[in-house]
Amino acid sequence: MLALLIILVPIAVGLVMLAVKSENVTTSKATGAIVAAATFAGALLMQSGGAEISIRWLSRPFTSALHFGATGLSIWLVLLLSICTFSAILAVNVPRAGAFIGHLLILEGTMLGLFLAKDLLVFALFWDLMLLPVFFTLIGWGRHHATAWRYFIYNFAGGLTLLLATAAFGVLYGSTDVIGRSDVHVIGSWVPWIFAGFAFAFLVKTPVWPLHTWMPLTYADTPPPMVAVVSAVQSKAGLYGFIAIGLAFMPDYLRDAALLLIVLGAISLLYGAFTALVQTDAKRVVAYSSLSHLGLIVIAIASFNVIALQGALIYMIAHGLFSAALFLILGYVESREETRSLTRLGGLGAQNPRLAGALCIAALAALGLPGLAGFAGEIVILTGVFQAGWMWSVIVALVAIVLASAYMLRLYQGIMNGPQVADLPVRPDLSWLEGIAVAPLVAALLLVGVNPHALTTFAQGFIR
Amino acid sequence: MNPMTVPVANYIALSAVIFFIGVAGVVVRRNPLIMLMSIELMFNAANLLFAAFARAWWHNAGHIFVFLVITVAAAEAAIGLAIVVTVFRSAKNVDVDDVALMKG
Amino acid sequence: MPVTMLHHVMGVDGYYPTLIALWLLPLAGAIVNWAFGPQLKRTAGPLGSAAIGASFVATLLLWGAATQHSADGALGAHQALFNWIPGWDFGLLIDPLALLWALIITGVGFLIHVYSIGYMDGDNAFARFFAYMNFFVFAMLTLVLSDNFVGLLVGWGLVGLASYFLIGFWFFKPTAVAAARKAFVLNVVGDVGIMFAIFAIFTAVHSITFGDAFAFAGSYGTPLLFVICLCLFIGAAAKSAQIPLHTWLPDAMEGPTPVSALIHAATMVTAGVYLIARCAPLWSQNPDAQLLVGTIGGLTALIGAILGCAQWDIKRILAYSTMSQIGYMIMGVGVGAYEGGVAHFFTHAFFKAQLFLGSGIIIHALHDEQDVRRMGGLLKKLPFAAWAMGTGVLAIAGIPGFSGFFSKDQVIYGMLTHGPHSHPWLYVLGIVTAGITAYYMCRLFFVTFFGAYRGDVDPSSLGIRHPELAGTPPSDHEKEPEVEHSPNAQWFMIVPVAILIPFTVLIGWIMFGGENSPWAHFFEQQFPHPALNVPAISEGLTGLITFAVVLVGIGIAYMRYATASAQSNAVERLRSESIHMPAILTHAFGFDYALDWLFVKPAEFLGRFFGRWLDPHVLDGAVRETVISAQWLGALTRSFQTGLLRAYAFILVFGAACFIVYYALAAGGFH
Repeated sequence: MLALLIILVPIAVGLVMLAVKSENVTTSKATGAIVAAATFAGALLMQSGGAEISIRWLSRPFTSALHFGATGLSIWLVLLLSICTFSAILAVNVPRAGAFIGHLLILEGTMLGLFLAKDLLVFALFWDLMLLPVFFTLIGWGRHHATAWRYFIYNFAGGLTLLLATAAFGVLYGSTDVIGRSDVHVIGSWVPWIFAGFAFAFLVKTPVWPLHTWMPLTYADTPPPMVAVVSAVQSKAGLYGFIAIGLAFMPDYLRDAALLLIVLGAISLLYGAFTALVQTDAKRVVAYSSLSHLGLIVIAIASFNVIALQGALIYMIAHGLFSAALFLILGYVESREETRSLTRLGGLGAQNPRLAGALCIAALAALGLPGLAGFAGEIVILTGVFQAGWMWSVIVALVAIVLASAYMLRLYQGIMNGPQVADLPVRPDLSWLEGIAVAPLVAALLLVGVNPHALTTFAQGFIR
Repeated sequence: MNPMTVPVANYIALSAVIFFIGVAGVVVRRNPLIMLMSIELMFNAANLLFAAFARAWWHNAGHIFVFLVITVAAAEAAIGLAIVVTVFRSAKNVDVDDVALMKG
Repeated sequence: MPVTMLHHVMGVDGYYPTLIALWLLPLAGAIVNWAFGPQLKRTAGPLGSAAIGASFVATLLLWGAATQHSADGALGAHQALFNWIPGWDFGLLIDPLALLWALIITGVGFLIHVYSIGYMDGDNAFARFFAYMNFFVFAMLTLVLSDNFVGLLVGWGLVGLASYFLIGFWFFKPTAVAAARKAFVLNVVGDVGIMFAIFAIFTAVHSITFGDAFAFAGSYGTPLLFVICLCLFIGAAAKSAQIPLHTWLPDAMEGPTPVSALIHAATMVTAGVYLIARCAPLWSQNPDAQLLVGTIGGLTALIGAILGCAQWDIKRILAYSTMSQIGYMIMGVGVGAYEGGVAHFFTHAFFKAQLFLGSGIIIHALHDEQDVRRMGGLLKKLPFAAWAMGTGVLAIAGIPGFSGFFSKDQVIYGMLTHGPHSHPWLYVLGIVTAGITAYYMCRLFFVTFFGAYRGDVDPSSLGIRHPELAGTPPSDHEKEPEVEHSPNAQWFMIVPVAILIPFTVLIGWIMFGGENSPWAHFFEQQFPHPALNVPAISEGLTGLITFAVVLVGIGIAYMRYATASAQSNAVERLRSESIHMPAILTHAFGFDYALDWLFVKPAEFLGRFFGRWLDPHVLDGAVRETVISAQWLGALTRSFQTGLLRAYAFILVFGAACFIVYYALAAGGFH
């Protein structure tokens, strides 16, 4: 029951906020933050288990149920999602804040539905639903409608193949009520196509080269609080799918595709890193860095190694935390200086030491500083990938790590260091509320970096 | 001459002639009333065939279909005339080439 | 993973709260200084120094535990900490090697902290400075006290971060910002080298601890062991400024001078020496790696010394000398003369810290002037600085009796005694470099302290073409008003240097006496002791040869800069030397250009190619083409939907006609 509740409450409150269209920022933020905090508390309660709910809703042509509950893998993504939503809501600095927070809550609810779904059909349903709040945000707050459509068409194309693959899976296996079970394996001549259907959706969503071109545009155009949640958590939906569906039910076919996935992941790693090196739009630097970082997780999953898989979850959480922090802080910068061009910005650190400190920690986590979560993920993943024998992809990843330090420092120094730029407005430093918004992310980055042990226990179930 | 002795091929030929007169009417004429009448012609060409084959093969299904077609034709004529009257109200002269609301 | 694998712990396992305190005290200092900096104001300095001082006391208290050894071969003290992820255990280990480094880090570190109270007096980011410095000490202690490779790598990365912060401490200076980034990125190159070695070791032994990695060193097989050593050395080379990864070190002098003394001379840059000495069991089994590392070390020593002759910025001269001296250390530990290499680290920490701190006093007194051409005649003005620099120069030059002599001699002679065929070329390299070292250090001393003061001479007549690039501050009226220094600020600077001087002069004597010296006893259990070659040249003779070469170096420097005639027309001499300096030296052998053209520019080109062409035009273009062709197809089918009734009728009839024709002709008629 709790599982259903924490999905429905954010959606319901979000819809109400859309209907009310409150202009009162404080009330809206308070409401949104309370709901997000409540989902976090609910997720913590669910960690101890026993909060499942299952309602049969199809028996032909295959059985399917509205089945929700947490697994050892999904619970971490649920926790990440509620932290990121909480931070994003507190950091909202756009006009029509009430409606915007409504969209954020709906996004949270639909993604909670995705991660908590234990039925493939429900998973596919929420996969499409979670596109809507982002799409409407892009329409309402973005600069170009074309970006919204691009986002929607790319991801909806993925959603279609996902739905087809789900239906085929259901017909083949007789049931879609399977997520979280370890005894389900589908075999047959159709399964490669089913796997391909799933994989296409996951690769578009993650995204992985060459299906990534919607991503830099979307990330650049979406308001920071929304893009923080999208890049932090929505991008994990595909990776979660690869583990919870691909690895769990079709391991043999995933193994057949391993070389392709690792090659795509490696290309993403380098492509994102090189491209991030020369971008002048600060948000696009982070967008391309995401392409690079997520490529590493694809490699980790495809390498079929327990240690790499443990690292994959650590890095999924780490990437969620630092990319959310980066986008929120870049949002602060943009709202202060009315630009995010690295050629215009500079020297903000002298007047805004707290803002500089926050961006610094986020950037350091992103470039894999030891002691923060990113490093834990990287080294554990690469140890596993090396152990699995993919040595060349380890070397590629190490090159990307060097590049990451170059582009992340370029981003940080370009904004905060150097002489002050005369024609940039001087604005007050980080406010308390803005600080509280990023504090949970930073704290979690440290916590996961120092002690990632709890994130590793899920992996044994997936690789035998 | 005994009607039984008229071979079925003659009915088919007559029916084909009537049908193609109807087709030509629909394609060539621009007056909707004439076009409706042409459609009636095509219906009746079909009816003629139904009746002829029913008679030739001693099977009543053909007769039943004739009645069905007559009812449908009546309904179609009623609706068609109603549309023509409505269009006529909004435009001075009725020419089907002037009405292209369904253009894609 | 084999479950039955025996875990090899290097030290005597136990509970050592002092060890944990020693490790965490600097972190506590950093956090307090960072969080409460604005409230602490001036007390940040003493607080930060006290944290390091307490850490130093804790290190001394651990002397007994660190040097203990049990019957089963465990050396030092081991404190288990926690399980990071399954199979990766973290812990602290202090054995003689780690103890030595911890003593220098906290001891010399404490003196430099105290010095900084005076040097940074009046800087408006006083507390931030001490937060970074304390954090550096914590990171460096993490590096040397870890009992496993991942912990070492954590420390390795964190010292790089501290170095980044402190090089870029004055973050409004574009040069400092660029130097900080360069240092960090080049250090990450080293980090990934170590990471690769860790992957290889973990794959081979399923453990990350030193104990397991060394216990199975024999089972790696030669190629793998060579790769591991090579990758570890990439880390060491980046951190310890070995060619070709050294280019960040001279630029790192953008940081405040105490930073240069602590991080870029005494401790952090010697981490590579520590790494190789720590991994002695790996290196000792791979002569190829030993030869490679020894050669790189020797070349770095030579190149650093040559470049030191061509610099005018007092801190850059010291930076190149640091690079050169670390080359000696790496050469020593590289070929297997671990005691010698580590000894040079030990003495170098004192004399180089003293040289940097002494130069800091000069820079402070001359209001941020760093170009030695604009100094001169400081002997009378700054007699204490002259004493500090003078003893430092004698030590680094290797005058017998001074500390540098003993350690450098050990390294040079080690070239003959170690290795299957000894290393005569490295031996010669070491002696030649010693001569060059004596030359450029004396040059520094003579130009700075002898003759007349040249600070009021027009820069261009000294051959200074770009004063702003040569470490010369803008002329006085452009400068911000002088900050008010508290009256006892200079005592904070003088006392630590005064404490260092006796160490610089005398500490080398603990290495005197060959196998029976206290130094050799201290490391008896630490390092492998292979059979040594017995070379034709004795150690005493080596010392004499080196001394002779050193005297030649000093003599040339004296002739060029210190004779009465050279002193009287110093301005003209310096101008002509500046103008006629070979371009290859002023461009530091072009390493910067090479790295730029080989790596930076291609990377940026690829980035632009991907971001501006491939992404929007090819990848996204392919998708856009799909969309456009769908639109075109739609337009085509749309054109049939004319809305004309008769057109539809015609199409219908035409279609029917086609069917009829098809069945009548193609399908063979109606049946």
